[in-house]
Amino acid sequence: MTTKPELNLGSHLVPGLAAVALFVVMAAAILSASFPDPQGFAGDASIIASIGYAMFNLDFGAIEGESFLAALIIIAITLDVALDGSIHLARREGDQGGSSLLADGGRELKQSLFEEDDD
Amino acid sequence: MVPPQYYLLLSAALFCIGLFGILTRRNALLFLMSVELMLNAANINLVAFSNVWGNVTGQTFGLFMMALAAAEVAIGIGIILVLYRNFDDVDVTKATTMRW
Amino acid sequence: MVGIFDFAPAIVLLPFVSFLVALAVGDRLPKGGALAGIAATAGSLLLAAATFLTVAGGRTYDATIYTWAEGIEAVDLTFGILIDPLSAMMLLIVTLIAFLVHVFSLGYMNDEGEVGLPRYYAGLGLFTASMLGFVVADNLLMAFMFFELVGLCSYLLIGFWFREPGPPSAAKKAFLVTRFGDYFFLVGVVAVFATFGTAAFSGSGSFPALAEAALHGEATVNTFGFAPQTWFTIVGLLVLGGVVGKSAQFPLHTWLPDAMEGPTPVSALIHAATMVAAGVYLVARMYGFYALSPDALAIIALIGGFTALFAATMGVVKREIKQVLAYSTISQYGYMMLALGGGGYVAATFHLMTHAFFKALLFLGAGSVIIAMHHNEDMWDMGGLKEKMPVTYYAFLSGSLALAGIFPFSGFWSKDEVLYETLIHGLGGSPVLLAAYAMGLLAVFFTGFYTFRMVFLTFHGEPRTQTASDPHSVRWNVKGPLAVLGVLAATTGLVNMVPVEKLLGIGGIDFLHQWLDMSTESLNAHHYGELIPYSSAYIGGEATTVAIGAGVSLGLALAGAGLAHLLYNVPEPVEHTDRLGGIKTLLYNNYYQDEYQVWLANGVTRPVARVANKFDQGVVDGVVNGVSSVSLFSGSRVRRIQTGVVSNYAVLLTLGLTALLLAFGLLGGWFV
Repeated sequence: MTTKPELNLGSHLVPGLAAVALFVVMAAAILSASFPDPQGFAGDASIIASIGYAMFNLDFGAIEGESFLAALIIIAITLDVALDGSIHLARREGDQGGSSLLADGGRELKQSLFEEDDD
Repeated sequence: MVPPQYYLLLSAALFCIGLFGILTRRNALLFLMSVELMLNAANINLVAFSNVWGNVTGQTFGLFMMALAAAEVAIGIGIILVLYRNFDDVDVTKATTMRW
Repeated sequence: MVGIFDFAPAIVLLPFVSFLVALAVGDRLPKGGALAGIAATAGSLLLAAATFLTVAGGRTYDATIYTWAEGIEAVDLTFGILIDPLSAMMLLIVTLIAFLVHVFSLGYMNDEGEVGLPRYYAGLGLFTASMLGFVVADNLLMAFMFFELVGLCSYLLIGFWFREPGPPSAAKKAFLVTRFGDYFFLVGVVAVFATFGTAAFSGSGSFPALAEAALHGEATVNTFGFAPQTWFTIVGLLVLGGVVGKSAQFPLHTWLPDAMEGPTPVSALIHAATMVAAGVYLVARMYGFYALSPDALAIIALIGGFTALFAATMGVVKREIKQVLAYSTISQYGYMMLALGGGGYVAATFHLMTHAFFKALLFLGAGSVIIAMHHNEDMWDMGGLKEKMPVTYYAFLSGSLALAGIFPFSGFWSKDEVLYETLIHGLGGSPVLLAAYAMGLLAVFFTGFYTFRMVFLTFHGEPRTQTASDPHSVRWNVKGPLAVLGVLAATTGLVNMVPVEKLLGIGGIDFLHQWLDMSTESLNAHHYGELIPYSSAYIGGEATTVAIGAGVSLGLALAGAGLAHLLYNVPEPVEHTDRLGGIKTLLYNNYYQDEYQVWLANGVTRPVARVANKFDQGVVDGVVNGVSSVSLFSGSRVRRIQTGVVSNYAVLLTLGLTALLLAFGLLGGWFV
C-alpha cells in the first residue's frame, strides 16, 4: 500500500520568505535599470572556435574576447585537487587504497560468502 | 533581440529558487542541489551579458564556472559523506554541535 | 678648592653606597657591613669638613643637580644642593655623629654577638644618606622626600629586633605618628607650590623671598582668596605639622619614648641628634618664611615652651635610663622651638648643635652602661658604676652638666641664649613669649633635677644588684666615641659665648652668629633679625638683662641639681618620687597621652575608615561590577544566535544581503 507523495508544506518554509524578498529587490533593481541594446554576434562567426582560441591566448578567433590561459591552467589544477580531495574525504581509516575497486573475478567475494575454500 | 532584462529576471528567479532551497531544505544532498541551481543562475547572467556586449568573455567564463561547480560538488559530496559518518544522518538540522 | 662643591653629592652618596654594600654582600663581610659604614661616614666627614672650610672662605653653593619633572607652564621638580653656613655646619655635625655611632656600634652590636647585622648597618647607611640629603636639600619638595626617607629608616631601625613583641609595635607607632604630621607637611608643600610656583629655599626666586615681596606689595602670589599674611600663616602651620611630628613636640611626642626599643646607637643617632633635629632644621632653613608671620612664630614658641616643661615633668619619674633621656630629648627640642618662635635663630641653631653633641654622648654613655649591665636598663638596679667605668662616668657627667645647663659646659651657653632671646623679645611687647619663657625657665629646674637623679642613681651610691657590682667591661670602640663627644660637650659652648661678650664688652667672640651671618642675602641671620616681628626690651640695659637671665637659669639648674644631690646622692637612695602620690601615676603614665591617641584612632578614625570601605566596596566596586555585568548579560543573550543549524545562518546571510541591496539601492537611486 503506497501513499501519493504530499507536498511538504509547513512552518519550516518561513525562512524562504527571505529568498522571496531578495527576488523582489533584485527584480525592482533590474526592471528600473537601463541596458544598452544587445549587440549580438555576427551570423557566420564561430563562437565555439573563438572560445577555444581565447582559452589558449591565440588570436585567431573571429569574435573578440579576453585571454583565459591562466584561468584554464588554474581550473585544471583545481579540478585535480577537487578529485583528490573528494577521495581523501571519502576514505575510511585503515582503508587500503582502492583495493575494493580492482576486478578480481569475484574471488574475494566468494571467499567471504562461502567460508570453506576448495581452491 | 530579446532585451537583457528578461535574461536577468530569469537568472534572478533561478537564483532565488536555489536560495529558497538552501533556506528550507533539510536533506544535505538536496541542499547541494540548490547550490548547483544558484551557480547555474549566475551562468545564465554571464551568457546574457556576453550577448549584450558581443564578447565571448562571458561565455568562456561561464565554462570555467561549470568546471568550478563540478569541483565544488565533488568536495561537497565528500563533506556530506563525512557528515553522515559522524551524525548517522544527512539531516542538516541534526548536525548542531557547533553552537553556543 | 673650586671642585669641593662638585663633590657635595658624594657626601650624600657615600653612605648610600655603604647601604647597598651592606645589603648585597653584608653577610659575607667579617663585621657585617660595619667597616663599609665606617669608611663611608669617615669619607663623608672629611668631605663635610672640606666643605665647611670652603664655606668659611665665604662661598656658598646652590645648584640644581637633576630635574626629574619638567613642567610645561607649571612648576619644575628638581633635586638640588644648597650649601650655606647653616647646612655646612649641620653636615659636619651629622657626619661626625654618624661616624662615632658606627664605631660605637662595633662595640654595642658586633661585640655583643647580635645577629642580622647587615640589616642594621644597611639601615644606618641609608639613614645617614637620607639625613645628609635632607640637610643639603635646596627645595621643600626634596626636603619632604628625604624627611619621609629618614622616617622610613627610623621605622626599620626601631623595629630591628622585630621578633620581640615590643619593637615592631614601637616602630609602627613611630611611623604612624610622624606620618600623621607629615600629611599636613605634604599639604603644605603643595600649598607652597600652588602659591609661589617654586619651593626653592634660597635665591631671589625662592619662596621666602617671594613671600616677603608679596607682603610689601612688590609681587603677587596666589593666596586663594585669603589675605597674604593669613595665607602664609596657614601654609607655615601646615608645614609645622611635619615638624611637630618629626621633632616630637606636643601632641605628636608619644612615639619617641617608645622608639627607645631600638638599639641604643640608633637612639643616639636618630632619636637624639639627627632625625628629630630634622624638624627644627627645617624651620631654621625656612626661617625667612616663618619670620614673616607673627602668629606662626607665637604658636611655635608656645608649643616649644609647653613641650619643654611637659616633657621635663615626665622625665622626673622614669625608671629606665633611656626613657629619661627620651623625655629629655623631647624637652630640649622644645627649647629649640621656643627659640625659633621667639626670634632667636642663632640661639636655636646653637642649641641644636650643642644638644646633638651632648645628647648623643648621653645616649652612647647609656649604651655603655647597658652593655655593662647586660641589657638591664632599670636605674634602680644600678649604682656604684663610677668606680668600675671611669671613662663612661666622666663622659656621661660632662654630658649631664651640659644638659642641665651648668657653667661652663656647652649646654649652659646655648640654653641661656635661647632663654635670653625669648625674654628680650617677650619684654619687647609679646606676652605669649613671656608665658613661653616662664614655662622654659621652669623646665630648667626639672631638667637639672632629672638629669642628676639619673647620674646619681646610675653611677653613685652602692651597687644595688650583682650585675652592678660586677659589670661587663667595654672596649675602646665604646670608650673612644664617648671621649670625643665628652670633650665636645664640654667645649662647644666656646663658639658663641654671648654673655661673656655682653658682660665683659669683648667683641667678636660670637663666632656662630658671625658664621650664620655669612650666608647669602636672603638666608643670613642678620636678614632674619630684621624680618622677625619682635622688638627687644631690656631690664635696665642689655648687660643687666644678660646677667639676670643667666643668673636665674643657672640658679634654677643648680637648685634642681642640688635637690637631686640631696635626695639621691646617698649610698642607698629610695624612690622619693613616691611622695608625689597620684601625680606620680599621672606622670608615669605620660599624662595618658598614649591611651588618648589610641582612643582617637579606634574611636574616631576606625568608624570613618569603615564607612569609606563600605562606600568603596558598595558604590565604586558596584559601579564597576555593574558595567561588567551589562556586558556579561548582553553577551549571554546575543550568543544564542549561533544555533548550529546551517540553514539559520543562510537565512541571516540572505536577510543581510537583502538589507544591504535595499540600502544601496535607495541611496544610489536604483529604484526611481
